[in-house]
Amino acid sequence: MHWLSCRKTITLCIVFRVLFALGLDFYLSPPTSYAYYADNGDKVVEFINTGPGLLSASSPLTLYANLKESLWLYQRGMDPYGSGIGQVGVSPLYLAFSFFPTIAESGPLKTQLLSKLFGIFLWTAPDAFSAWFLVRIWKARASSRTSTNSSSSSITFVLPLIYLLSPYVILSSLARSTSVWENAILLGAIAWACESESEFKTKPKLNNSNSKSKSKSLLFLALRVHLSLDALILLPPLILILLGSPESRLAEPGPFALYVAKRRSVKKQPEEKLPNEPAENHLRSTILRAALNVLFEFMVYWTALALISTLIVGHWRWMSTTWGTSLSLPSMTPNPGLWWYFFTEMFDHFRPFFLVVFNVHLLMYVAPICIKFQHDPLYALFILVGILATFKSYPTLSDHGLFIAFWGIFPEVYPYLRHPFPTTLVLIHSALLQPLFAHLWLSHGTGNANFYYASTLVGACAGGMAIVDAVWAGLRIALERHGKRELKFVEGEEREIVTQQ
Amino acid sequence: MRLPSLSLFLLFYFLLSSCDASSQHTNNWAVLVCSSRYWFNYRHMANALGMYRTVKRLGIPDSNIILMLADDAACNSRNKFAGSVYANPGRHLDLYGENIEVDYRGYEVTVENFLRLLTGRLSSSVPRSKRLLTDSSSNIFIYLTGHGGNEFLKFQDNEEVSAHDIADAFHQMYEGGRYNEIFFMVDTCQANSMYSKFYSPGILATGSSVVGENSYSHENDYDIGVAVIDSYTHYVLEYMEKVNKTSRLTMADLFTSYDVPKIGSHPGVRSDLFERPLGPGNPNHPMSEYGRGRGWTVEGGGEWMGREIEAGKNGRAFREALITDFFGGVVDVDVNNEDDAELRLFEDSECISSPKAPLSPSTNTYSSPPSSRSSSSLLDTLDTYPFLRPSLAFILLGALFVLVFSGMTSGRS
Repeated sequence: MHWLSCRKTITLCIVFRVLFALGLDFYLSPPTSYAYYADNGDKVVEFINTGPGLLSASSPLTLYANLKESLWLYQRGMDPYGSGIGQVGVSPLYLAFSFFPTIAESGPLKTQLLSKLFGIFLWTAPDAFSAWFLVRIWKARASSRTSTNSSSSSITFVLPLIYLLSPYVILSSLARSTSVWENAILLGAIAWACESESEFKTKPKLNNSNSKSKSKSLLFLALRVHLSLDALILLPPLILILLGSPESRLAEPGPFALYVAKRRSVKKQPEEKLPNEPAENHLRSTILRAALNVLFEFMVYWTALALISTLIVGHWRWMSTTWGTSLSLPSMTPNPGLWWYFFTEMFDHFRPFFLVVFNVHLLMYVAPICIKFQHDPLYALFILVGILATFKSYPTLSDHGLFIAFWGIFPEVYPYLRHPFPTTLVLIHSALLQPLFAHLWLSHGTGNANFYYASTLVGACAGGMAIVDAVWAGLRIALERHGKRELKFVEGEEREIVTQQ
Repeated sequence: MRLPSLSLFLLFYFLLSSCDASSQHTNNWAVLVCSSRYWFNYRHMANALGMYRTVKRLGIPDSNIILMLADDAACNSRNKFAGSVYANPGRHLDLYGENIEVDYRGYEVTVENFLRLLTGRLSSSVPRSKRLLTDSSSNIFIYLTGHGGNEFLKFQDNEEVSAHDIADAFHQMYEGGRYNEIFFMVDTCQANSMYSKFYSPGILATGSSVVGENSYSHENDYDIGVAVIDSYTHYVLEYMEKVNKTSRLTMADLFTSYDVPKIGSHPGVRSDLFERPLGPGNPNHPMSEYGRGRGWTVEGGGEWMGREIEAGKNGRAFREALITDFFGGVVDVDVNNEDDAELRLFEDSECISSPKAPLSPSTNTYSSPPSSRSSSSLLDTLDTYPFLRPSLAFILLGALFVLVFSGMTSGRS
C-alpha cells in the first residue's frame, strides 16, 4: 500500500544515513588529524564544517558549537546570553534539555559507541519526520484529485527519497546544525495545517484528520518562530491554509471569500455576482473573525513559549540575542546569503537604513504573494519558503534543501515552467562553486571573499529564477484552465492559449 | 683608650667606604634600541630582543628597561611563525614570549624621542614607562643596533642620529646627575665611530666594527627567510649565557672573549673615560693582550681607546668592573639570619573558591539577583536551586504539548 512503501523508504534511507554517518566517524577517527577532540560528534562536525560544508552547512544561528557552548555555560550556572553585543545565541528552549546527561566522552568502548549512535540518531531522526510530513502534505493536497491514483504511489516513494538523500540535507545533519530540527518542526506545522479541519472546509477526506491538527500546527509554527524569527513570514499563508484547504486549486483563481462562499453550501457559479451585499460583508467578517481566532491561538502559544523561555533563563535579554540577530545582524559570519557582504562594506552611518531595507525586502513579498495566490495558499507557502531560502539573513544549506523538496509536491506545474533546465544548471553551478570558493578563500588563502560572494550571488540567482518560474507556472495554469473555460463560453470551441513559453 | 680606637676604626671604615662610594651604584637601568624598520631588518629586532632577554634574566626588572623597537617583527604579516621572534635558525628560543614590554614601538622610535629619553626632557604627558627615571647612582646599559655608518646611526630609514648628538646627550645626563656609569654597546656597521665623540666621565663603550668596516649578520633561517641575528650580538649573548646574577666575571673577560674570525669584524673598546679598571690587575691584566692576539689581523688591530691608562687605574684601589655591575639588579646581598619571617600557608577558605552551584549564587549566573527586587520565595528558590529552572521549563513545555496534542485546547469542533 502507499503508506507501507513510504515508511519502508523512509526507514531504509534513515538506516543508510546512520550507517553513512557511523562510517564517516570511523573513517575520521584515526589519530592523525582529530585526535585531540574528546567528544565523539566533533570529528564529523569539524570535517563537514571545514570541508564540504564550509560556511554553508551551519550559520551562527544553527551552529552545533554554539548549541554546545550555550548548554555548557548553562549547566555551570553562567549566563549564555551575557557576553554582550555581537553575540548570536540559541533559543532558550534548547536549554530546557540541559539536565540530560551529555554524550559520553570517554569510558568503555561500548558506551562510547552507544552514545555516538545516539548522537547520530538524534540528528537523523528529524529528517525522518520531515520526510513523513512531506508525504502527508502531498496526501492532503492530492486527496481530491481523481487522476493521480496511479502516480501517487510513486510520488510517495520518490518524495522521501528527494528529501532524505538530498546532499543539502545530509550535510546539514552531519554537521549537526539545528536547522534539521527547524525543518522538521516547520514541515510538521504545515502537514498538520493541511490535514486540519475548519468550519470552512468540507467533510474530512483523510482517515486520520482530527480537530487537534489546527492547534498542533499552530503550536509547531510558534515553536519554529521561536527557534528562528524569519519563519514569521510563513504565518499568513499558514493561516490561509488553516482556513481554507491545501488542495490544488491553482486552476481556479479567485478571491478567498469566493472559495469560502462556495464551500458553505451555497452553490454559486464563479461568474455570478453575489446577489446581496450584506451576505458578502457577513462572509467577509466571518472569515476575518475566523482568521483572528487562529491568530489569537497562535499568539497564545507563542507567548506561552516565550514565558517558558524566560523561566529557563531568568531574564528577558535572550530575545535580543536570538530574535534580534535576524533583525539586526550582529554577526558578519559569511554564509550563503546576500546580507553579510553588504554589511561588511558599508559605513556604520547607513547600517540602520540598510537593515530596514533588507528586512522589509523579506516582508514585502508576503502580502502580494498571499493575495495573488489566495486560491491556493499552499502554493503561496511554497513560494515564500523559496523567498526565505534566498533572502533571509543567515541562510544555510537546509533552507535550500527544504525548497527543493517542496518542488516535489507540485508536479502539476512542471509542464508550465519556462526555464527549468537553466535554473537547475545554475543551481548545480553554484552548489559546486560555493564550497570550492569558500575553500580557496579560507583554506588556501589564494582567493578572496569576492569569489565566494560571487558564487553565493549565483546561488541567489538560481533561487530567484526558481521563484519566478514557480510564480509564472502557477499563474499560467490558472490562465490556461480559466481562459479555456471563458473562451469556451464565448466562442463555443476550444482554443489554445499561447503565451511566451 | 677604647674610644679613640673606635673612632679611628670608624674613620678608617668611612674612608674606605668613601673610596668605593663614588663607584657604587644602587640601581640598574637598560635602554635597548632597535632603530631599523622593515621585515628584512628582522635581525636587528632579534638583537634587541635577545639583549632584552639577557638583561631581564640577569635581574633588571621591566620597570627599569626601556625597550625601543622600530618595527614589529613578531606580528608582521610576513612572519611565518606569528607572534614569535627567533634568534637562531633552529628556532629553539622564542624571544617574543608572553612577558615582554615594549615601551617605544614603531614610529615612536625617533631620534628626538631617543634623545629626549636620555636627557629627560619629556613633556609631562609622557607616562612613566617611557621615562628614564635614573639618578646619580644608576648604572645604565645602553644598546643600539641598526644600520649605521661613520658617526651616525640610521633611525626608521628617514633620519639619523650622530655621534656628536649622543655625546652631548650623555654630557647633559652627566651634568644633570642622571647616571653613575654608562655601558654603551653598539652593533652597526662602523660602530666604533659612534663612541668616538664622548667626553663625559663614567662611560665604558664597545662597538662591533671599526671605521670603514661592516658588521655582518650571523645566520639565516630558511623558514623565516631572513637573517635572524647579527654576528657581534650573537657572540656577546653567547658569552652572556655564562653570566648569572652572582658571577664575578669582569668586563675584561667579556672583551677578551671577542673572537674576530667568528664575529667577522673587529670590535672595539673605549675605556679612557671609565675610571674603574676593566679587570683584576694582578698578575697579568687580562686585557693586556687585547687586540694583539691571534685572530686580530694586523691591519685592523684591536681598537682600544684607553689602553695606555688602563695600567694606571689599578693603583687607585677601585673595584674592577664586573659584568653584573651593568646587567644585574643586585649589588650586595645582606643575608638576614632572623627567624622572624615565617611563611604562612593560606588556608583553603582564603583561596578563591570554585563555584559550587547550589549554595553560592554568584553574580555571573543567569539569574541576576538585582533584577529580582521582589524577593518572592519562588524566585529565591529558583536561584538557590539552579536545576529547578530547566526542569520546571521542561515540565511546562511537556504540559503544553500534551494539552495541544490531546485536543483540549481546540475547543471548537
